Amino acid sequence: MTESTIISTTNLNLWYNGKHALESVSMGIPKNRVTALIGPSGCGKSTLLRCFNRLNDLIDHVKITGEVLLDHANIHAPDTDVVSLRRKVGMVFQKPNPFPKSIYENIAYGPRVHGIRDKEELDRIVEQSLRHAAIWDEVCDRLDDSALGLSGGQQQRLCIARTLAVNPEVILMDEPCSALDPIATAKIENLIEMLKKEYTVIIVTHNMQQAARVSDYTGFMYLGRLVECGRTSDLFEHPKEELTENYITGRFG
Amino acid sequence: MAEKFHTELENVRLETVAMARFGRTMLRDAVDALIRQDTDLAASVVARKDAIREREVELEERCYQLIATNQPMAKDMRIIVCTLKVVAASLRIGRYGKVIARIVQEIADRPHIDHMMSIPHMADLVIELVDDATVAYETDTTRKIADFSARDDTIDALRHSIFREGISHMMEDPRSISRCTHYIMVARYLERCADHACRIAENVHYMHTGERVEIH
Repeated sequence: MTESTIISTTNLNLWYNGKHALESVSMGIPKNRVTALIGPSGCGKSTLLRCFNRLNDLIDHVKITGEVLLDHANIHAPDTDVVSLRRKVGMVFQKPNPFPKSIYENIAYGPRVHGIRDKEELDRIVEQSLRHAAIWDEVCDRLDDSALGLSGGQQQRLCIARTLAVNPEVILMDEPCSALDPIATAKIENLIEMLKKEYTVIIVTHNMQQAARVSDYTGFMYLGRLVECGRTSDLFEHPKEELTENYITGRFG
Repeated sequence: MAEKFHTELENVRLETVAMARFGRTMLRDAVDALIRQDTDLAASVVARKDAIREREVELEERCYQLIATNQPMAKDMRIIVCTLKVVAASLRIGRYGKVIARIVQEIADRPHIDHMMSIPHMADLVIELVDDATVAYETDTTRKIADFSARDDTIDALRHSIFREGISHMMEDPRSISRCTHYIMVARYLERCADHACRIAENVHYMHTGERVEIH
């Protein structure tokens, strides 16, 4: 990859309770591009995603070796501020998880945690984040309503807006559409296309067609190893590795 | 579901091989009918035009169904792309057979001029090219198509030579104009069939390797 890299891993290994879940993963994530991670269940793609904002730290008995660099800085360095890291590297999960608060408060929560108290500034951030997440027009006249009253697709876009509100550099998405219907899925996919102008997106998906549609680069993982990583158009048209070929043509997985 | 898809893909591929051989036989029979001035054989080639068209429509439709319902990728996608090209090329080859058979029906009442020059030899080379392209597609290998560029050059040279010889005969004896014009046309159709074989070869190369090549 000749593009500028925002995240890179070198010989990244991870064990859960002694189980080797990631084996010597070395890859670069290009800036302002969408990178998809695909592979059968249990191949380590979500685990790898969670390494990028140290979410695996929250799990007991995890051992990590190797290096993860964000903007050339080692995220495992002792002086790394994990709160700041998770602001820079936001995350959207499989199931929409809005706070049981109003739409406005869902978005304003993050900026408040990071010290913004000014009401006008918060209003501006809320509107801008909702606009960037392509949901403003649907919720602008009911910002005080509970976020739990939104549809699943709207909740997921709200969660994306919540991530955008703290001005991240990278957005991690772990199966963001698997709980959504095709129309809500299409909206999220369109949104991902727009987001890459300002952010770097890394998406884990079981849906290979989705990976092919939304991503610029794709990594195929199998049994904790990164088997192949390259331009999406190349990987889906003529993969280099037979294992990738067999997976994407449905011969296993 | 993947198994059902691959079974259908393999069936479509095998039937495409059969269609390619059907088109090739139309061309072979048309050339034989021309050589022997056999109007019955020519009529039987003309009668096959609807059958090859029906095969083309059916196989194309099945490819579209496979794409629409399975969104194939990688090798599967390349097999379908190649199959669509083989189907289209085979229809054209069969159609040129039909056009040559029509010429047989027009000129069978008069003897050939100069044993039709190099047309029988050219036809053999073209049909070998079609056969090798079909085998390459059938077996998903590229060995038989490696020398297609040079073989296509030979065929182009033969067409040019038939053209020049035909002009000479026409200048010597204006009564030969009608037959020689038809010979020149037949040479042109054969050369087009060789081009279709080359297009099949290019697509087999893409199917096999994922890389594009151009055969001139």
